[in-house]
Amino acid sequence: MPPQTALHAQAAHLGCDHPVLGPLSLEVPTGARWGLTGPNGIGKSLLLKAVTGQARVHAGTLQLGPATRVSLLAQDHPRRDPWPLCGHDWFRAMGATPPDQPRVQALLDRRLDRLSGGQWQLLRLAAALHSSTDRPPGERLILLDEPANHLDAEVRGDAVDLIASLPAETTLVMTSHDDEFLQAVGVENHPLTDYLDAR
Amino acid sequence: MLGDLLFVPFVSGLLVTAVLALAGAGLFLRGSVWQALALGQWAAAGGVLASVVHWPVLPVALALGAGVMALLQRSSDRERLPLAVFLAGLAAVTLLAANFAQASLAAAAWAEGQLYFAGPRELWAVVALGLASLVLAPGLYHVWRHAQLAPDVPGTRSPRAWLRLTEVAWLVAAVVLGSMVLGLPAALATLLLPAWGAAYLARNLRGLFLWAQALALAGFLIAWSVSLPLDQPFAPVLVLVNVGLALAARLLAMSRP
Repeated sequence: MPPQTALHAQAAHLGCDHPVLGPLSLEVPTGARWGLTGPNGIGKSLLLKAVTGQARVHAGTLQLGPATRVSLLAQDHPRRDPWPLCGHDWFRAMGATPPDQPRVQALLDRRLDRLSGGQWQLLRLAAALHSSTDRPPGERLILLDEPANHLDAEVRGDAVDLIASLPAETTLVMTSHDDEFLQAVGVENHPLTDYLDAR
Repeated sequence: MLGDLLFVPFVSGLLVTAVLALAGAGLFLRGSVWQALALGQWAAAGGVLASVVHWPVLPVALALGAGVMALLQRSSDRERLPLAVFLAGLAAVTLLAANFAQASLAAAAWAEGQLYFAGPRELWAVVALGLASLVLAPGLYHVWRHAQLAPDVPGTRSPRAWLRLTEVAWLVAAVVLGSMVLGLPAALATLLLPAWGAAYLARNLRGLFLWAQALALAGFLIAWSVSLPLDQPFAPVLVLVNVGLALAARLLAMSRP
């Protein structure tokens, strides 16, 4: 794998029980800000899951850079009812330090099952972005799967600020159908189809 | 009460209640309440089987409980498979009881509980498990907290495999010993109901563990002080008290702003 690469795929076939995506070849440089785009069902979420080991690599290779630590914001995280965890508990579980942002701070003492959908998404996003911040920024790869989902107008600006304030050396790969959101956070647009069938 | 005939049963029951309350909070966080039913039933089947073959009860119950837990851990089905395993355990106990006289007595003892007959052997086993729980508590807490995250993934390391295995082994020991001391229904009631009530009252994860302990210990003390003077079997009284406390916790939480 070339140096200064956070993620490298070579003719990778990905799937859960069976391969459904591939061959896929791509190289995400350290510090890159990628917005993976494409129609529904093309395999954007599957790629992120394969990076975190939640889906399988059936053929080819999918490699992380040496010492790279990955955090993932999944597309949805249904909450149990009752669920006696507060925001502080969530940050501790994610190994994250809460950011100073007032709207996130205001959620830390509240139970997760009593947050609105937008507040819950903002809290998860902040935790994913601040997970393992004890590591050098260049060793962190953050994967966000449709982070704009569930964000209402009240918290959307906070979410953009949180993503935009990531250290420059940290690598970010996110999926979204929301072009306005992708533009606001300043990521490069990379259609997934550009990396399929490449050998 | 020191020197009283009931001192050993009381201390054994109180200690195992504290351990079961911790295990119950853990099972609640893992979303594994059905596993507890299956595990407890097969622990009882192990105890009944041990009475038939004249082997020591605890090792046989632990071995069967561990086998069941190993099977359930291999499947992602959190409801149907544990329920099927529970029913199979129930059938095994019923068949053993129908065919062997000593098994019938043992099955009745596991169903009704025999806390009043707990002796020094049970007490030392419970003390050992209680001490192990204190030592393991930070690791257990780490595993249960991490279990809340999926499908999100943190940048930190997951709990190590040995810690996950230790957590499962500890759960097996807690459920088996709890069922042996309190009887299966009372042990399950102590596992499931205080944690359920606590989940409504707690403001955070720490609160869940504290409320679960408070409700479980209150349930034990109330059941003890009611069943003895009224000359009632302890286990069913404990089940009813725990149901009442869990419902009260639910109502109290609903009345909060």
